[in-house]
This record gives sequence, C-alpha cells and structure tokens, in this order.
Amino acid sequence: MPIEESNWDWEIVPQTSWWGTSLAEFWQYRHLVTGLIRKDFLLSYQQTVLGPLWVLLQPIMTMVTYVLVFGKVIGVSTQGTPPILFYLAGIVLWNLFNDAFVGTSTTFRDNVHIFSKVYFPRLIMPFAQVSGQLLRFSIPFLLLILLIGFYWVFTPWPGLSTAPLFLVPLVIVLVAAISFALGLIFSVITGKYRDITYVAGLGIRLLMFLTPVIYPVSYLPEKWRWLAQLNPLTTLFEVFRLALLGKGMATVPQFLYSFTCTLVLLIVALLVFNKQGDKLIDVV
Amino acid sequence: MAATVIQVKGLSKMYRLGTTGTGSLRQDLQRWWTVSVRKREDPYFQVPSSVSPTAQQQVLWALRDVNFEVKEGEVWGIIGNNGAGKSTLLKIISHIVRPTSGVVRGKGKISSLLEVGTGFHPELSGRENIFLSGYILGMSKAEVRAKFDEIVTFSGLEGFLDTPVKRYSSGMYVRLAFAVAAHLEPDILILDEVLAVGDTEFQKKCLSKMREVSQNEGRTILFVSHSMPAVLKLCQCGLWLQNGTVRESGEAHQVVNHYLLSTQLQRTEQSWANPEKAPGNDYIRFKSVELVPHLVLPDAPLDIRAALTIRFRFWNFTEQTLISTNLVLFSTAGECIFDVPSTALVCQKGLVGGECTIPGNFLNDGSYYISLYVVKDTDTSLFDYEEALAFELEDYRGDISWYGKWWGAVRPQFPFQLTQPELASQ
Repeated sequence: MPIEESNWDWEIVPQTSWWGTSLAEFWQYRHLVTGLIRKDFLLSYQQTVLGPLWVLLQPIMTMVTYVLVFGKVIGVSTQGTPPILFYLAGIVLWNLFNDAFVGTSTTFRDNVHIFSKVYFPRLIMPFAQVSGQLLRFSIPFLLLILLIGFYWVFTPWPGLSTAPLFLVPLVIVLVAAISFALGLIFSVITGKYRDITYVAGLGIRLLMFLTPVIYPVSYLPEKWRWLAQLNPLTTLFEVFRLALLGKGMATVPQFLYSFTCTLVLLIVALLVFNKQGDKLIDVV
Repeated sequence: MAATVIQVKGLSKMYRLGTTGTGSLRQDLQRWWTVSVRKREDPYFQVPSSVSPTAQQQVLWALRDVNFEVKEGEVWGIIGNNGAGKSTLLKIISHIVRPTSGVVRGKGKISSLLEVGTGFHPELSGRENIFLSGYILGMSKAEVRAKFDEIVTFSGLEGFLDTPVKRYSSGMYVRLAFAVAAHLEPDILILDEVLAVGDTEFQKKCLSKMREVSQNEGRTILFVSHSMPAVLKLCQCGLWLQNGTVRESGEAHQVVNHYLLSTQLQRTEQSWANPEKAPGNDYIRFKSVELVPHLVLPDAPLDIRAALTIRFRFWNFTEQTLISTNLVLFSTAGECIFDVPSTALVCQKGLVGGECTIPGNFLNDGSYYISLYVVKDTDTSLFDYEEALAFELEDYRGDISWYGKWWGAVRPQFPFQLTQPELASQ
C-alpha cells in the first residue's frame, strides 16, 4: 500500500529549518511559558529573608551609590533633572536589559538536562525568561513612577509637560527585544564554547558605559556623540528619559534607526537560534 | 489493515567524538571551509579514505541505515546491548536530536518519556511539579487540571503535595514523576527504561498501566528495555539493534529468543584429546565436561525452565581407589548454591564417567558456574576442577505479571495450592 507523502503529520529530517517552530506549535505550549515564569518567581524568593523586596532594594541601593559617586563626587550634570530620578530611570531600564540578557544567554547551558530528554519548542525557555523579567521590571518601574509623582507634586521640578508618554511602553519592549536577541545569539555561542560566557559578561559591563545609563548623551563632547548613538540602546534610553523626565536627546531618525536595528537583530537571532539549536543538543 | 504511524527510513546518526573547545572550533572552521567554500563533501560525514586516521577515530555511528515501520496500536520492544543505539533512536523519533541522514515520518501526537522526572525542580512542591512537568511533557493546563486527582491517587502521595520535592524519598519522587507521565494521552508513547527505577510494587503498577493503555486505548508504544520478560509480556513486535544497525525485527518472541541466545555467556563444552594438556594432576585428568540443556523448545533461550545435564569423563591414574565426585554450583558472586555428591565407586586405572541432571524449574535466573571435586575414600581431595562450566539462565515468568528481581538462590516449584475451606464445605 503506497502511502502518500502528504499523509504524514510530521517529518524529522537531517536539515534544520531556519524558521523552526511554527506559531501554532508555540501556542500549544503557552502554558509551559506561564508555568516556567511561575517557577522562576517561586524559586527566587524561597528561603530568602526579604523575599520580593529584593526587586526594589537592588535598584534603590544602586541608585544611592550612583547619586553619591557620579552626582556628588564626579559631578555629572543631570540637566536639571533630580539626580535620584535620573539615575533610577537609567538603572531600572538597564537592569531589565541586563537581567533579560543574563537569563537568556545561558539557555542551552542551563537546560541541557531537559533539552536532551524531552522535546518542546526550544524558544519557549528564553521567551519565558524575558517575559518573566518584564513582569519583574514592573515593580521597580512602579517605584520610579511613584517617585516622579512625588517630585512633581512636592518639589518645584517642572516635570513632564510635553512628554510623548506613549513611547514609554514601546521603548521598554524594544530594550527587552534587543536583550532577548543578543541573549539568543549568545546562548548558541556559549552552549558550544563555554568560555564565551565570561566574554559576554565583560561585554555587557562595557556596554553599560557605552549606553547613557549614568550620564546623559548631552554630557558627551559633541564630536563623539555620533559614536554613542551608533549603539541602538543609546537613543532608547534617551527617549525613555525624555518621555518620563522631560529631558533627553533624540530625533525621529535616530529612533527609527534604533527600531530598525532591533528588528533586524531580532530576526537574525531567531534564525540563528532555530538553525543552530537542534545541532547544539549533540554538543552540549 | 492498521495504518502506519511511524516510518523510519535509512536513518543514520553520527557523533563526532572529542572535546569541544578549540579543537572543535577548528574542526568547525575546517568543515565550513570544505563544505561551504570549496564545495567539497563534508570530511566528517563520508569518512573518505583520504581523511587522516585521527579524524576517522573521532567519528561514531550511533545508528546506521535503520529502517522499520510501526503500525497503529502496535507495541514495540527495542532491545540490544548497551551502546547499540536504542536511546539514540528514541531521541531522534522524539524530535530531540536530528539524524545525520535518513528520515522519520509519523502521524499523531507523540510523547516521550526518556527519563523519569524531566523538568522536576527539587525546590518546588509536589503540586507545582505536577503542573510544570505536565506542561513540559506537552499537556495543557486544562488537561493537567482534569487529571490532577487521578495523578495524585496513582502516585499515592496525597499527604505530601505541598512538600518540596527535595524532601521526598527517591521512591516517592519516581512515583510522582511516573504518575504524571502515565496520564499523558499521546497517540504514540515512547519509553526508555522507565521500569528500571522504583520499587517492585510500583513497577507492577506501571506495567499494568502500560498494558491497559496499549490494549484498551489502542495506543502505539515504543519501549526500550533490558528486561526481556517485560518485553515479552507487553510487546508484539521486537526490534533488535546491534552496533547501530537492525539485527532483526519482527515478532517479539522470536526476536527476544534470538537476542538472548546471542548474548548468553556460556562455557558448556570442553574436551581434551590427550592427558598432557588436560586440567588435572598426577592422579586425575579431565577428558571432557559438557552441559546439555533440555530446552522447552528447540530455539528457546536457556531459561529457568530447562533441565541441565552435566556429563564429564576423567582419566584415573590411581589403582583400585574408592572415588566419588562432588558437583558444586556457584553463583557468579561466588556464593555456593548447592554441593551434590555422587555415589562412590571403586575405580581401576582408566576413564571414569559421570552424569548428573539439575531439574528444570529449580534454579533462579542468573549466571552460574560449576566446579567438580574428585574425592578419594570420600574424605581426601584428589583434584578440584574449579569453574569447569559456566552458564547463564534467563528469566521466564509465564503468566506472572511482576517483573522485579525474583528473590532467593533457587526458584523451585513445589506443590503449592490455595483453598477456601468454607466454600468447599458448602
């Protein structure tokens, strides 16, 4: 009885596809995403004294350090923005980028034992990581909003009169997307060559200084600004501050540049992840 | 005729051995250079003779040109020695690793259980783990909810649901993990050695659950096991892999028998033409020893049902001596199972023969060796022939649906009946 090729539901062939997981398949595993996020939350705060308070404590302590070191000792100008708000905004957004990157870049290394025993779309793991980080981000972000409100009401700081507030969620998603994309690419590389993990860690720390986290772009000498602005994160951070605090340097073409960079990076990362992911299981 | 649900065609899987890191990076670059830039064939795939011997050594074919088809509702037992490629085959069919060449096609949802407790996290409670491992195995939230009570009952851990799994005993852990897996409802279920873990009571539960699933719900199962009785009980079809190739596939009984016959380690016959080379001393030299099994069926493996006849002959170089022989059976662990003395006979110089039969359905399954001790005047040793014969008895369970290791040095079948006196008297 000849069987027509089209009768089969699935087929496993040596070649890996660039696109990998279909959206329908991804949707089937949506509960796994929520399950994994839940797991991460439950695990983070088990057997800790302060529990979820850590999500707030860490950025507050960093902010205090930055205000003292960069604001008071070195004297970086925050262009009239209260230093507390200026640094907290940068730290909160940078932590999202950093945590999402760290979480996703070790996808293969951390999950070999699961990946080698059961099949599900591999992308689920890093996707759950990033979604979890976005959720976690909402807590310090809320603190930032409350502080902005406090300053606006109780101090002479003029606040956000003409701010394009609608850009804030877009910027957050774009920052998370860049982090996700870089994380995916590095997860493939670190899965194969372990020592790259250290390089990635170092790279991220350097990248922080190339991104206006602790200084505004306007603080840079004019002839070097274009260099900082090659980094797609630069404009995103400036827009974030511009929208929330009313001060920042960003033009529409610069924003479109960041947007396009993010999109291209994301597509490349997804392709690399899908293409290399299957092969990695043999190596890790 | 049932439809084919899995078709495996020309499946091969190659692994490159050696360390990852610089060596592998260099190989990757080399490979990329030859394949993509120079448009030559992959040096690591074809292993042509031009490649240096070191490169050849770094290649391992876990599977080579495997072909078979599975029909709907069939239960397949996949057997073979360690390293034969069984697990690799299951991993490819489960979509975990890609084959190097060949194709697997299939119909229906497939779930694989290559390990008990995949995705379990020790810090989470039993309840959380049921959900999480259900999701990882491909269940939806609604499915896990609907089956939750059943899973808990099956595992028998009602009182421990909110305890972190790290405080469970290993037995409890396995029970919970298998309980989740047992309630999956795929069209095709893939199992790898899951029965090797857990206590015997739970093993029994799992096996009956598997039988229930395959018989009543018509599910297709691929099952890797080292327990031949379990394979015989559960599977209609057998696939015997050897060094990555299919040695035999077909009806389970036949495949299992052939496999067992090939693996049994036996020294069942030894003989010496002249006394100089024969084992012995100035008094006694052995001419021959042999073990003749009386198999139930001509092509059956040597299992516990077979009676075993031991025949031997030795040259006696002493005059007019009262000689007897002890046949001593040891397990491979060195534990003596029994010591049977022969009758004593006054022997002249020349050949002496002896024969003893161990009845069938008496020994337990396992590996044994036999030593023969020749004795003078029933008290003085003339010659001890240690490990004269070695053989292995396979397990056979018949209608007993329990597959744990049978206890005891021997497994005799004494007359043993149950009665219900109250019913009989009515």
